[in-house]
Amino acid sequence: MLEITNLTKYYGDHLAVEDLSFSIEEGDFATLLGPSGCGKSTTLRTIAGLIEPTEGTITLRGEDVTNLPPDQRNIGMVFQSSALFPHMTVKENLAYGLKMHGLDDEVDTRVSEYLDLVEMSGYEDHKTTELSGGQQRRVSIARALAYEPDILLLDEPLTGLDRVLREQIRNEIKQIQREINVTTLFVTHDQQEALSLSNQIIVLNNGQKEQEGTPESLYEHPKNRFVAEFVGKSSRFTGQPDDTKPSVIQNGSLTFAVDPESIPDTSPNTDGADVTLYVRPEDVVIDTSSTFQNEFDATVSHIADVGSHSEIELELEDGTPVLVEAERFPDLSVGEQTTVGFDPEDVIVL
Amino acid sequence: MKLYKVAEQFAAWLVAVIVLSLLLVPIVMIVLTSLTPESFPTIPDGDVTLYWYSEMLSNTELMQALVTSFLVATCAAILSGIVGTVAAIGFVRSEISYREELATLMLLPLMISPVITGLAIIQFSSQADLPSGYPTLIIGHSILTLPYVFLIVRSRLVTFDDDLREASRVLGANGLETSLNITLPVISPTVISAMVISFVVSFGEFTATQFLIAPDATTVPVIIYTMLRAGLSPEISALSTLLIAIMVLGALISGAVTRST
Amino acid sequence: MIFRNLPVPTSVRERVTPRHLVAFGLGWLALFFVLPILVLVWQSLGIGTGEPLSAYQQALSGLYLWTIVRSFYYGIATTIVTLALAYAFSYFVVFWTSMKNLFLILVVLPLWIAYIIRYLGIQLFFSPTGPFVDLFGTDFGFLFSTRGVILGMTIAYLPFAILPIYNSMNAIDRDHIHASRVLGAGSLRTVYSVVFPLSLSGIVAAGLIVFILSSGSFLAPAVLGSSENFMIANMIERSYTELFNIELAAALSVIYTIILLALIAVFNSYVNLGEVFENI
Ligand SMILES: Nc1ncnc2c1ncn2[C@@H]1O[C@H](COP(=O)(O)OP(=O)(O)OP(=O)(O)O)[C@@H](O)[C@H]1O
Ligand SMILES: [Mg+2]
Repeated sequence: MLEITNLTKYYGDHLAVEDLSFSIEEGDFATLLGPSGCGKSTTLRTIAGLIEPTEGTITLRGEDVTNLPPDQRNIGMVFQSSALFPHMTVKENLAYGLKMHGLDDEVDTRVSEYLDLVEMSGYEDHKTTELSGGQQRRVSIARALAYEPDILLLDEPLTGLDRVLREQIRNEIKQIQREINVTTLFVTHDQQEALSLSNQIIVLNNGQKEQEGTPESLYEHPKNRFVAEFVGKSSRFTGQPDDTKPSVIQNGSLTFAVDPESIPDTSPNTDGADVTLYVRPEDVVIDTSSTFQNEFDATVSHIADVGSHSEIELELEDGTPVLVEAERFPDLSVGEQTTVGFDPEDVIVL
Repeated sequence: MKLYKVAEQFAAWLVAVIVLSLLLVPIVMIVLTSLTPESFPTIPDGDVTLYWYSEMLSNTELMQALVTSFLVATCAAILSGIVGTVAAIGFVRSEISYREELATLMLLPLMISPVITGLAIIQFSSQADLPSGYPTLIIGHSILTLPYVFLIVRSRLVTFDDDLREASRVLGANGLETSLNITLPVISPTVISAMVISFVVSFGEFTATQFLIAPDATTVPVIIYTMLRAGLSPEISALSTLLIAIMVLGALISGAVTRST
Repeated sequence: MIFRNLPVPTSVRERVTPRHLVAFGLGWLALFFVLPILVLVWQSLGIGTGEPLSAYQQALSGLYLWTIVRSFYYGIATTIVTLALAYAFSYFVVFWTSMKNLFLILVVLPLWIAYIIRYLGIQLFFSPTGPFVDLFGTDFGFLFSTRGVILGMTIAYLPFAILPIYNSMNAIDRDHIHASRVLGAGSLRTVYSVVFPLSLSGIVAAGLIVFILSSGSFLAPAVLGSSENFMIANMIERSYTELFNIELAAALSVIYTIILLALIAVFNSYVNLGEVFENI
């Protein structure tokens, strides 16, 4: 459906995107995820034709569109700022794209259909400047979809909304995408948004692709430390592989048992180098009774209730923090001595 | 301590009253003296008359000058409105070297004395065989008002949301359609307001204009100046009051247009 | 109504860039403003007449030299008086009154009224049949004198000084002032050590504008002065319309403009003129 090949973009001599390739299948919900300034918007805007790539090609529906202007690409785009035309009503905003696509006859039906889709029926004649932030995003989404583009691009469309509204509109976007099955490329720096929305995530950092895959594969098998730390929460330990026992990582007084297959090649040049271990909070158990291969004494240092569960932070003997996801209102108090345990299979070694 | 405070307050108000009087008394003087029943411009004590207004209206030379001023100001406002807006759009969007310096160049007509501008343009137009009168007046005034449009429209464009243009492009409009459908309507109140300012500036311009007029194309300020040299009269005040009314109307229109956004 | 299906040939789309819009604006300015000025410069040189540069000799001697000096003297005097009034007034509006907008409207309103009308109003005020003479029996030499010209220009250009000073003063964080007062500084001391330095950029901008406008004024001496108060603009006009000496008029223009542009260049490194005028 969409294929990016060797995309490179320089602003002057500032390299914003470097040799990026990925593709999206029909009906997919893909997300470009990365920290601020990593080149997400740049990538999205080259796809839309708003900026010219320095190198590389963009193929849409099997057709090379690299040199087409934005108005000839049949793309829908939702901007960070909504970008609704202030001098037009809600209906006129939607009609603009429809008319530009020669769909004059369908203006009325499409406008009501797509306003209905985003639950904004009845707002046809409102001025866009009178809408709330959330309503503006909805209209903006309807405007981008009304002429049924081949692909929908969203550039951090939830920025500036409060948390509740963010989540609400996020779910609506997901629902709409399922309903009309439009191929979607979403840009965000929020890993939670990416994990909950997409079936394909492309992680960018410094203009380069770090990893690409399903949310599960990124979460469970991050390829490098950046992805491991950027996608999902985890506790982090460092240490050195013990040459005599392949399944053990030693860090001072602490010894971690890991899945031997997960240890990176101990080839001569990596020999002796530190490895980093990650354990996801839901894989750690606070328990004094059951036995784990990895079990450590720990002190509770912080308890936060996050609604569906509690996040508990503990400190190992040497001060290393451990993050644990537990049920709400655990029978623990700050300062309490306890133990934490996890299985070797749940340790990610990088 | 208390006394000191009172003195301070008194001084502050005194300055305010002096400054506002300086600014406003001359204007009030014009309006009042236009109503005098005397044959010389004095503040009427009790009796007021509109005699000097009817005198003015029956003066065909004055009425002709009003028409000329109106035509010249309208054409100049349209010309500088177009040129200034186009230039402002260009300057905001392009990334040329020496952009700020070149933009300052656009302000030169504000800095160079209008006497010099007027002299240069009349010399140039006679050497270039431009017809004197209207064409020269209109071009001259369009140059004198260009910086106003440029500055005002440029500062509006700086706050113009570029996403709007991009959204329009993605929605299927080409560059020209986007400019006509999106950019222009969004900035048009500012452009109109800038053109009203140009109109008013052109309508009242004297210094450069005195070089550019022709016998069949004389503007009101030049008439006022000529009458003034011959001696003060309430008729000049009446004519000036009419101009004040037009200019204040311009201020109100410009204010209303900008506030509507 | 929506414009669409406007054919924009690829060649045009690729060729019309913002640079072309800039070029159009600058081109217009170049053709009808810069070029005429250059022609004027050329004429001032008097090449082809018997004595090239003789106009400059004339312009830099006697009466004309004095006029140039007088223009800058009047300009400086007007700038000082205007700045003092504008500063005190802005201070009052910013710190003493809650009716800021009303005062600002009253300041901006005169800007809409043509200079010639405002100068006429001043003349009417001091004229023998005007209220001032009525009250005092004399105009105290305000009409057709240096005093009158400088007062007239002060009145004419006051709004240009008030606006930038007001803006820079209004932008001062009130907490700085409160801090100074809390630290024990008196109000005059606070003005001197806090308000003044923080509003300096507005003062420089205001001073520059008023100086540019007043030193080039034609109408103030023409309406409120006598021939003894003539400034450079009046001399240029007279050389052209009465003496028919275009070389002299051009030479005077060139000399005056060069001095002024040099001054602007010096100050432009301190304040951006574009921003200065944008304040208005
Ligand atoms: N027009 C431009 N000119 C110069 N540099 C630019 C331009 N636009 C972006 N950049 C730079 O290119 C890099 C990538 O920018 P981009 O906007 O693509 O990042 P992003 O991932 O979208 O970040 P954010 O999350 O902050 O939106 C940044 O370092 C940015 O400073
Ligand atoms: Mg971005």
